[in-house]
Amino acid sequence: MSQLENKQFDSKITRRDLIKLFGATAVAGTGIFGASQQAYAKSAAHVVVLGGGVGGATLAKYLRFADPDVKITIIEQYPEYITCLRSNDVIIGMHTLDELTFNLDTIKNKYNVNVVIDTVIGADFDKKTVRTAKGDTFSYDKLVVSPGIDFRFEDYEGYDATLAEGAFPHAYKAGPQTLELRRQLLALPQGGTAIIATPQNPFRCPPGPYERASFFAEYFKEHNPTAKLLVLDPKDRFTKDVPFKKAWERLYGYKSDNSLIEWVSGSEGGRVLRLDAKNMTVETEGGSYKADLINIIPNQRAGKLAQIIGLTDSSGWCPIQRDTMESALHKEVYVLGDSSIADEMPKSGYSANSQAKVCAQAIADALKGNAPGKAIYSNVCYSLAGQNYGVSIAAIYEVRDGRIVAKGKSAGVSPITDKPAQPILEAVYQKNWQREFVKDVFS
Amino acid sequence: MKLRNLILSAGFLAMAQNASAEIMASGSAMAWQCAPCHGTNGQEFVEAMPPLAGMPAKQFIDAMIAYREGTRPAIIMDRVARGFTDEEIKAMAYWFEKQPVKQWENTSLNEALEADATARSTGGQQ
Ligand SMILES: Cc1cc2nc3c(=O)[nH]c(=O)nc-3n(C[C@H](O)[C@H](O)[C@H](O)COP(=O)(O)OP(=O)(O)OC[C@H]3O[C@@H](n4cnc5c(N)ncnc54)[C@H](O)[C@@H]3O)c2cc1C
Repeated sequence: MSQLENKQFDSKITRRDLIKLFGATAVAGTGIFGASQQAYAKSAAHVVVLGGGVGGATLAKYLRFADPDVKITIIEQYPEYITCLRSNDVIIGMHTLDELTFNLDTIKNKYNVNVVIDTVIGADFDKKTVRTAKGDTFSYDKLVVSPGIDFRFEDYEGYDATLAEGAFPHAYKAGPQTLELRRQLLALPQGGTAIIATPQNPFRCPPGPYERASFFAEYFKEHNPTAKLLVLDPKDRFTKDVPFKKAWERLYGYKSDNSLIEWVSGSEGGRVLRLDAKNMTVETEGGSYKADLINIIPNQRAGKLAQIIGLTDSSGWCPIQRDTMESALHKEVYVLGDSSIADEMPKSGYSANSQAKVCAQAIADALKGNAPGKAIYSNVCYSLAGQNYGVSIAAIYEVRDGRIVAKGKSAGVSPITDKPAQPILEAVYQKNWQREFVKDVFS
Repeated sequence: MKLRNLILSAGFLAMAQNASAEIMASGSAMAWQCAPCHGTNGQEFVEAMPPLAGMPAKQFIDAMIAYREGTRPAIIMDRVARGFTDEEIKAMAYWFEKQPVKQWENTSLNEALEADATARSTGGQQ
């Protein structure tokens, strides 16, 4: 390629063009690149990221790819992040919480990101500042918010956050509750009954409750074969229900007289109305059930932070511009991950990671005054219906008529075949995927 | 504009790319979406999913089209590939071809930025 033609010199040369012409190393040697390695130029824009979970960490890393100069700060409330991903495995002892614990050190060091451990308590969108619990104020040019989810305990009479921290863990944020649920599963009397109550749509990790149910059944099969799991569902369908139920038939006698799992759909009265903690009883639209273990995974809404600072609409979730993830309510503010309304995309870690990349490019483009490129999103969710039996759902997404929808004929769940290799390979991929995914997020 | 001319001079592949630039995501934007399974910039060499970094473009294109048309057995890649047009597949292929053939953790930020710049300037994308 003939690079040094005269006409090139009268165009506005951006950093990328320079790298294109001379290579990043050469440019770095001139100090142009070096600036971002040591100190930010005074004029560099400041992007502040609230929440250093899947969405926030991915955003910081990929924004650095898209803009070597921008100043990036993550404000995250906890020094360590425990992934929900594979936290169901912890309940059956397939993983430890330690193996699921990550921090932002690589994000900070490799991608030159300021990491502040503090809780954000407010934002002023006119002044473009955020406030923290420790009393600090941060100014931003662009704000990114990825605070995860909050629970609607008020949808269940007799259930609340205190009970969840105690004898009735939802275990839908990984941590001490995950370990408590494991303890309860192991302590279940022989022939006892466990209940998993699943949430109404939309909620974080749509296959999560059903993967957990599968693990309970697998555990019973080996250690407590006369126990029973009751799955109480406010819905009539759930994600990957066809391959999940097929797996339950193959592995846990589902639909037979001594099935380890029974699933009560919404039309059959599966919606939980009330928890009677004292009598270990759950009241549903269809009747009351007594159990030895009760795991209610509550209905959900956008993370508290998003509610407090005014990014949610009447649905409890955050409306966004679909091609950039910019809030539909406030300019220069972007919402990622579970909190956002992303139409056909499920609330998964994969989705949060995918959205963060689109958002990173959109922010870099906006800071340079360029129009956003065409957005492309993706999601692949592998779940386990048993330790060696995987089921998956996958799709590529694009924005059409203002909604994020499946692109081409990409959307689909695992086919049901008679080939045992399919679910076994899906389980292998599941495990590979988890290891790989956290690297893409945190390193 | 000048830059675009420059890229066009890189050849026919880049031209095909530019022609559809308006309606298509960039090669890097699409390639980034592959990272959760294939590693950041396709640079995952120790897991079951094949690394994409440095893969000859033709190999990538042939594989993706075969997945999409159902002529190559797949676990999920058939579903994924059905989301991409020929032009999109090519743009990803050219971008991945230029990424370093080594594990992501051993790659510096500057190496990555340089590889990205190279991929873009040789028609990997615009
Ligand atoms: C059991 C289970 C299994 C799952 N399995 C999978 C899976 O296999 N694959 C998959 O793709 N997804 C899975 N998920 C879903 C995945 O965990 C979430 O979709 C993902 O974490 C969403 O990312 P996020 O950035 O929106 O939120 P999070 O990752 O939850 O990050 C939010 C961050 O914001 C911080 N934060 C919140 N408020 C504040 C504040 N005020 N100040 C400072 N920091 C704050 C939090 O501490 C947290 O670190 C699973 C979820 C569960 C529950």
